[in-house]
Amino acid sequence: MGEGRGHLGEARRVREVGAAKAAFVVAALAGILAAEAAISGAVPAAAAPPPEPRFRFVDVAARLGLTRVLEAGRPEKDHLLDSSGAGAAFLDYDKDGRLDVYLANGWRLDGARVAVRGRNALYHQRADGTFEDVTEAAGVGGEGEWAAGVFVADYDNDGWPDILVTAFGRNVLYRNLGNGRFDNVAARAGIEAPGWNTGAAFFDADGDGWLDLYIAQYVDCTLQDVLDAKRTLWWRGVEQVAVGPFGLKGAPDHFFRNVKGRFVEATEEAGLKDLAKGFGFAVRAADFNGDGHPDLYVANDSDPNYLYLNDGAGHFKEVGVTSFSAFDGNGAAQASMGVAAGDVDGDGILDLMVTNFSEDFATLYRGLGRAFFEDASRPTGVGPATFKPLKWGTAMADLDDDGDLDLVIANGHIYPQIDRHPELIGTYRQRNLLLENRSLRADVAPGTPPEPLFRDATAEAGPGFELTRAHRGLAVGDYDNDGRLDLLVTALDSPPELLHNESAPASWLTVVCEVPGGTAIPIGATVTVTAGGRTMTRDIAAGDSYLSTHDPRPHFGLGRAEVADEVVVRWPDGTRSVRKDVRARQILVVRKGT
Amino acid sequence: MKLSVRRWSGTAAVALLAATVTPSAALAQSRAPATPAEMVAAYDALADTILGANRAEQKLVLAILAASHGHAQAELARARAALKAGDAAGARAAVENLSTAVGQIATEGDNAVAGVRKRLLQGGHHANSVGEAQGIYEEGYVVVTKAAKQAFLESAKAIAQLAREPKAEALDAEWAKVEATWAKHVASVK
Repeated sequence: MGEGRGHLGEARRVREVGAAKAAFVVAALAGILAAEAAISGAVPAAAAPPPEPRFRFVDVAARLGLTRVLEAGRPEKDHLLDSSGAGAAFLDYDKDGRLDVYLANGWRLDGARVAVRGRNALYHQRADGTFEDVTEAAGVGGEGEWAAGVFVADYDNDGWPDILVTAFGRNVLYRNLGNGRFDNVAARAGIEAPGWNTGAAFFDADGDGWLDLYIAQYVDCTLQDVLDAKRTLWWRGVEQVAVGPFGLKGAPDHFFRNVKGRFVEATEEAGLKDLAKGFGFAVRAADFNGDGHPDLYVANDSDPNYLYLNDGAGHFKEVGVTSFSAFDGNGAAQASMGVAAGDVDGDGILDLMVTNFSEDFATLYRGLGRAFFEDASRPTGVGPATFKPLKWGTAMADLDDDGDLDLVIANGHIYPQIDRHPELIGTYRQRNLLLENRSLRADVAPGTPPEPLFRDATAEAGPGFELTRAHRGLAVGDYDNDGRLDLLVTALDSPPELLHNESAPASWLTVVCEVPGGTAIPIGATVTVTAGGRTMTRDIAAGDSYLSTHDPRPHFGLGRAEVADEVVVRWPDGTRSVRKDVRARQILVVRKGT
Repeated sequence: MKLSVRRWSGTAAVALLAATVTPSAALAQSRAPATPAEMVAAYDALADTILGANRAEQKLVLAILAASHGHAQAELARARAALKAGDAAGARAAVENLSTAVGQIATEGDNAVAGVRKRLLQGGHHANSVGEAQGIYEEGYVVVTKAAKQAFLESAKAIAQLAREPKAEALDAEWAKVEATWAKHVASVK
């Protein structure tokens, strides 16, 4: 048992894992029964009454001032770059305690001509909750690059969050000067890495206190290839659509070691050489084998996904195939877009959620411990609920504050042409999905047949989940500090959506992890809260979902508990801070060393 | 300079064509046009080369699989010896390597091979295009069918899970499954 999971007492952990496994078996059985009933057309003996709406989300983006349109190539999406979109981030760049918003932006094309080079946008949140566009004043417009992802971390440990913008072209690294202005230091830092850069993750691979950086690349092509692109791939024999990624050349990912604020290319030395040149889209760093060191998961489009295990010194071994996280349960590579990590079944082991192309399941890899996984998509209900849409950004987040992690997925197709044949697989613009985690529901009537772990709650999630767009990026954060997690979603050729969470309130706790005189965001720290007889762990990451960064403050739904028995912060260097009997419904600041 | 070379080449080609066409035009009055026999023969020879390359590809992939199988057998022997000697760490390492080797049988090689396979697909080469259309093979796979891949992957996972506390009997049981799949799906390929 490694340090990474040592925060639970061993006996308690064994007990809880046992209980969680039992619950999972019941849920799995329920899923199989439900699937069989659906196939046979059988009616359950005791039909459960429809559950009361538990969620309500309302789009407040325009009202609060978030209006920047995401430019996305040509209307007909002639090249994959036209439809890959860009991400978003919640961050507190000025450390005023209110979350700000950063949006990456692409270009608009007119045939083979560049019509508009979209500007990225930084929105500062005012005290009244509205947002003001401070892009120009801050100097973070994007340097004319076709931007993709946004990843926020304090790479130079100066106490201010910096912004990495990955791009089709050269990456941009905005160093936060601490006075509301930023300076692009990507060239100086050594991470411009020209190419089609997509997902990224900051993490301290070698435990030296400096955040290293992995950047995925997608396809090896030039701007001229993009401008000249023609739709030549026949889709179901009825439409010609953009080609790829099959038929295009994969581009290798990069790993940069951070040497006191300067990055050094170390991909091969670290054992991270992208031998298969997978079509990389999303990256998540976390301690997947529980040995106390951050590992790395890379979601590839149409290629097997990678899982790199860290030996503790920043050297990695790729074990995707033998960990069973490279393929789906049938041994097939999927067209993966986004990734999320968290513990959805409460057994103390990280699970993985990977979003995939349309007419394929999103894959929920249930963690079995020691970096082994099993495809639990079907028995948990995730697979059937996610089959139809084309899925991108995703997050595991407790959206109803009941103590378990729900799943949210941003959806939207890449071929506008499918709108001419809605009878085939639906439409180009799609609704997002909200899957409610049922593990802690107490309102199940006696005699109700067991249910899968997740239930599709989209239809009851309010007007915010009725919006149909070509969604892409997704970031989660409590922008108004009301104890309910909100959602920031990007969409092609559209302004962002800020889905305010107006669900029925429950108890909660948000934890701010501060390192006096050190990093602004202790990436890799984990926070474990015990409350109401349940223990929950969240980590701090930069790199999750699709091209996006969440609120860096771990958030816990506490259900009806008004006190957290214990809050334990495990800092990246292995030290701990412990708080006992913490009052709920507050933003708790825990300083390292206290 | 380049332009003048191109002009010269163009002129030469036209002259050559004129010289060739004149007698052919005369012949055409008495005989229907046909592809010159030399060209058919050349194409036939090229076809032998292309089909031979396919065969060579299959042999190479079989060799890759045999190498992985050999590695697996060696690691299995190492694991058994370590278990006999009570060397838990040695056994664990050997079992992990065994799992990796079986995984590489499932995927017809490691990520480096996957990169080559991808390049071939980009070039439009499918070793088993008919099998792919029938759902028997995954794109680009040469020997290992989908069913065999799944069976090897299950074994790789089961072996990997044995690594924490390897037991000789469990290892032997899982290896027997690998050998059965090997015999059925790989060793039988001619």
